[in-house]
Amino acid sequence: MTELKAAARLSLLGILLVAADALTAQEDWLAKDANWNEHKTRLQAFGERFENAWELYTYLQETANGGKALTWEDMPKPAYNWSGVYTRTGGGLSFDPDIRANETTAKLTEAGASARQRKIDLITSTGGEYDPLSDCRPPSFPRWATEPFLHEFVVTPNQTWLMNEMVNDVRRVYTDGRAHTLPEDAYASANGDTIGFWTDGMLVTHTTYLISGQYQRGTQPDYSDQVEVVERWKKVDGNTLEADYWVFDPVNLGEPWYTRQSWTQLADDDNFLRLRYWDCRENQNNDILEKNDGTSQFSDFDFIENDAAVSTDEDVRQAAE
Amino acid sequence: MMKQLLKHGLFLASMGIVGAVHAHHSGAMFDDTKVIELTGVVKEFQYTNPHSWLLVDITNSDGSVTTWGFEAEGPSTLMRAGIRKGDLPPGTPITIRGNPMKDGRSGSAWIDAVVNGKTINPRNGFAVIPAAE
Repeated sequence: MTELKAAARLSLLGILLVAADALTAQEDWLAKDANWNEHKTRLQAFGERFENAWELYTYLQETANGGKALTWEDMPKPAYNWSGVYTRTGGGLSFDPDIRANETTAKLTEAGASARQRKIDLITSTGGEYDPLSDCRPPSFPRWATEPFLHEFVVTPNQTWLMNEMVNDVRRVYTDGRAHTLPEDAYASANGDTIGFWTDGMLVTHTTYLISGQYQRGTQPDYSDQVEVVERWKKVDGNTLEADYWVFDPVNLGEPWYTRQSWTQLADDDNFLRLRYWDCRENQNNDILEKNDGTSQFSDFDFIENDAAVSTDEDVRQAAE
Repeated sequence: MMKQLLKHGLFLASMGIVGAVHAHHSGAMFDDTKVIELTGVVKEFQYTNPHSWLLVDITNSDGSVTTWGFEAEGPSTLMRAGIRKGDLPPGTPITIRGNPMKDGRSGSAWIDAVVNGKTINPRNGFAVIPAAE
């Protein structure tokens, strides 16, 4: 009889432990406040419970009972009114805005660490690098999150548009319940394919079918074309949008990389700020060539009659031939 | 606005963030260990994305004129720094500072300038001044 009671107690304890685990598995939105280090650790650990981004996304969707369908009547509500001109709140050229650009909190695989070391070695040996953005190619996602300049965000019931002035870059998040493009019809692109849903005033997204890239130039890590991202966007006050980012990349990351990204609505009392068209060919002086040593150089200024005759750079002279 | 820029600009400087001025391409072509200061007149303000170029004519000691190009960020960042295209029409006297190019050409990364006794700093355009809630 005593053994039976002990077994019952153990069973009850087991049930309680499972229930407690289930309660903490759904990680709520955690504020970026004085307890941020602890919150960030919890959000990182939450991401690590999942094998891949899709598993995390479907978990969040199931616990939100599929999410809430928005209507046009919802649009003026503070949670969905993302109007205004924004820019990245801080972080410079670091994907994790909590640290400096020459550091990383990513848990890199051996391949990921090697790729980063090659970037460090190039910069150490040459003092510079060549960034593909120099000819107005898109930064690609998830690097998109780290770019400065002006942003606009437009929420509608069925789509949300996330726009950066740089290279006229628009990400479209489909929230009308559609699935991703079928694998047999899909192809990789700079911003991939993003679907999402709304829950408790938060926009939860999943992005896939991406191309390889780098989180930023300098010594920030690379990502492969297997990278997938779950985001959770929230307007946290009258002029700040924040987003949880869980990046999964089996090639470069040993664990998902959690960061909190943020954008601030800018003061624009005279309505002078606006996003302008962005094209490297509008001004000849912005033409950048990739040097033979892997760094960058201006090719041909319009305010100098014969660049090759003046420049000491062999690459400039070669480009003029 | 200027008070806000000064406050946030100083904050950025204290955080060491102002060095991130070449947000679109690497700054490998400029020598950031050197600073030049030149006085001349504005020839043209190319207010363009992804970068703006302020062309300044400098009269040399032998009477010849050299056009220098000073690179800054594009229009939206300059607007945030309080520098508008109409502020610098051709013929405007200017004293300007920059990090020169390594290869000897008359190009430079624009640091700041004095126009009509007032200092302007294109790098203040990265200061984040929030809208009122």
